[in-house]
Amino acid sequence: MNPLGSDDGATAFRLMTRLFVRRLIDNDLISPHADRHESLAVAYALVLSLAVFATFFLSTNYLAAFIQLPGPAALSALSDRFLFIAASISISALAALLVWDALALEARDAAVLGPLPIAARTITRAKLAAAMVFGAALTVALNTIPSVLYPAFLTLNIRGTHGTTILKLIAAHATTVTTAGLFGFFGILAIRGILRLLLGEQAFPRASSTIQSALVVSAVTALLLAPTVRAKDVRIWVGGADAPPWPVRPVLWYLGVNETFAGRLVAETPIVLPPRVSAAAIPTRGDEMARSLYRALLPQFASLARTASLSFPLVTALALTTFLWTNRRLPDRSAGVPAPSRIRTVVRKIAERHTQDDPEAQAGFFFTLQTLIRSAPHRTIIAIAVAVGLTHALIVLAQGGRNSMEMRSTPPGVFGIAIMLLLSLLGAVSHAATVPAVPAANWTIRMAWRGDERRYLAGVKRAAMVLVALLLALLLPLHLALLGIAKTIAHSLLGLLFATTVLDALFFSYRKLPFACSYVPLENPKVVWPAAFATLLFVTYGFANAERWALQTPARALALAATLGAIALLVRTADRVRRRERWPVNFDDRPGLATQRLGLLEHITIHD
Amino acid sequence: MQAGLEARRLAKYYSAIAAVRDFNLTLRPGTILGLLGPNGSGKSTTVAMLTGLREPSAGQILFDGHSITDRMVEYKARVGYVPEDAHLYTFLSGREQLDLIGRLRRLPTDLRTRKITTLLDLFGLTSAADQPISGYSKGMRQKILIVSALLHDPDLLILDEPESGLDLSASLVLRHLIPILAARGKMILYSSHVLDYVERLCGAVVVLHRGRIVAEGPVRQLRAMIQGGSLEDVIAQLVTTMDPEGTARDIADVVGQHA
Repeated sequence: MNPLGSDDGATAFRLMTRLFVRRLIDNDLISPHADRHESLAVAYALVLSLAVFATFFLSTNYLAAFIQLPGPAALSALSDRFLFIAASISISALAALLVWDALALEARDAAVLGPLPIAARTITRAKLAAAMVFGAALTVALNTIPSVLYPAFLTLNIRGTHGTTILKLIAAHATTVTTAGLFGFFGILAIRGILRLLLGEQAFPRASSTIQSALVVSAVTALLLAPTVRAKDVRIWVGGADAPPWPVRPVLWYLGVNETFAGRLVAETPIVLPPRVSAAAIPTRGDEMARSLYRALLPQFASLARTASLSFPLVTALALTTFLWTNRRLPDRSAGVPAPSRIRTVVRKIAERHTQDDPEAQAGFFFTLQTLIRSAPHRTIIAIAVAVGLTHALIVLAQGGRNSMEMRSTPPGVFGIAIMLLLSLLGAVSHAATVPAVPAANWTIRMAWRGDERRYLAGVKRAAMVLVALLLALLLPLHLALLGIAKTIAHSLLGLLFATTVLDALFFSYRKLPFACSYVPLENPKVVWPAAFATLLFVTYGFANAERWALQTPARALALAATLGAIALLVRTADRVRRRERWPVNFDDRPGLATQRLGLLEHITIHD
Repeated sequence: MQAGLEARRLAKYYSAIAAVRDFNLTLRPGTILGLLGPNGSGKSTTVAMLTGLREPSAGQILFDGHSITDRMVEYKARVGYVPEDAHLYTFLSGREQLDLIGRLRRLPTDLRTRKITTLLDLFGLTSAADQPISGYSKGMRQKILIVSALLHDPDLLILDEPESGLDLSASLVLRHLIPILAARGKMILYSSHVLDYVERLCGAVVVLHRGRIVAEGPVRQLRAMIQGGSLEDVIAQLVTTMDPEGTARDIADVVGQHA
């Protein structure tokens, strides 16, 4: 066979890069019938609308102001830009985490491309090029529209701003957030590469999913915490009055880049008043103070920008070299298969002993845990939910937790830490149950199913309660420090009871087989998601307040436990009665056509 | 009421296109029926309908005299199915996959564990039993499919290309296993492209072409149709619309073309 010439090699490289990019954005996780273009369009529309919404939301002050003074605008823009940069880093990192396994050569790459007369290094470079194209396209797509809108909105009511100034602001903003996004993407690639080097070919596959989940939790938590940062916090961190926490530093580096490039453009704009407005009506003193505060930060911004200019090439070089080194050979099909863990065997035996007489409950129990822990999309759902709870916990703890052992003075947020985490976790489990474990393998359960979902569902709920117990156990040290021993025990027991009730309520109207039916997306997510979030907050703080009241005396605690127990019993009995009637499960339920979802058919009139 | 599987005037339409029409079949305990046909002849659709995984557009499937639509769960409890594509839960190990199926089929723990361990051993999968299926070869996945189909001792076995990907020894085991199971009263529907297998194993065959049955009956009767030719000759005469030898020559010519 003739070896490929340089032209052929270049063509092969281009073709493989295209193939790998396609695989990175390929979405066959939800349904084998999913249209990749539609999924991609929906995902992009979602990200873009959120970005545009956030831009409008952040700009309301600038848009509403009759006259926007440059000094205060330059200062308040610091927290906005902090949010844009943090979001760009987190979302790009999250995107890299979602395609974590596809960021390296896989066994199927070796199986498909290995026999072809293409050098292994060409395949490796094509994979790397695909990852870079994916990361670049993602960050550009994510940041383009906000980069145009935000500087325009910021300066809309700053009279005297020239067109060229706005263009420079747009260019600086776009460059900063895009570079920050690439930093986030390459950061994940570098972490992956370094860990693979350190752990080796055998240990990395075993630890990979845990590392991925931990990083997803971190990225989502960072994304959710970013809006809580105020302009004052940014000033304090940049000014050096308070050392910034480590996760915040990369965001500040890129903020430094933006302010060094274009910060002066806003801060140095002269005040231009509209006709018939007297200078006396304008708080110019406040403007001057804001300008001088901003100017004082400029040297620090320059220093942060220098760090950014060093960190970006360093992270990129680390990502590229570790990638090229760890992927220098095509993977061996048999390599990287984790050996069975002893802990897993022990846990299995204990669980089997407790559910020996009920094989269907065992099936539900084990399959739920296996799917939630080992299947990437399910693990991601759980990780995102944990991140939501963790964000809330960090906000509560940052606000000071509690000051005294007096129960009445304990903020409800302290009780809300566990409640929010439990609710997010259980919500995630109930959502994950609607996503098939492996869509193409649904037939195996479908063929073996005996027509009664009750025992299987009981197993699923037991598995969810194992996760609840694990979460409460992890929170024990924190609760002990905040509440003391007796209250911690009572709080944990009430948490278990609360989780049981919530779990039964979440699965009350569920009429399918968890993890084994096709996924049907929500018909109206723009209503359901905000409503779910509002409910999450309402229930968390409602129950947290009830708990704070109840834990003041043992009698009250017992009363709350009895009330919860009664509700749990009621929900369970109603569920049992409802499930007495048997009906067939629709394994292949599919969403209606897009035109039906839009309701266009209702408005069609047929004329004879 | 006669024991066995019967399909009466079965049809499946996708929009207006008929994938299967007028399909009739009878399968009695202790018999092996071959289902043959070229790609796109409707074999997989027929198998999907017979397993209850796809609803027929018309016609009826009776098992032991009862429509399977009315007793789908009871029917599936007595069916073992090996599909054409080995789609499994790749994040589970082979043993975990079989455990899941065994539990859903309500096999008691002791019996399930014993059967799984022994069958894994007999199929040469013991050393890989606790490794994730994602690392299995096609043949290993196929063995897991065969074990899951046999685990609950079904009365009816529907096998769609069961020999696909199997190594020589496993293939030979399967070739011996099927007649033994039939001798023990199982009904076996064997869909395959490997005519040699079907000829050796099946007492009778049904030949599908473009969604219709074009021939059915005992193998020897079909062979007699073309005066003692092999089953391959019969199929070639019934369903092959092109000239195989000529097409082969054309392919070789195209392969030999250079710039």
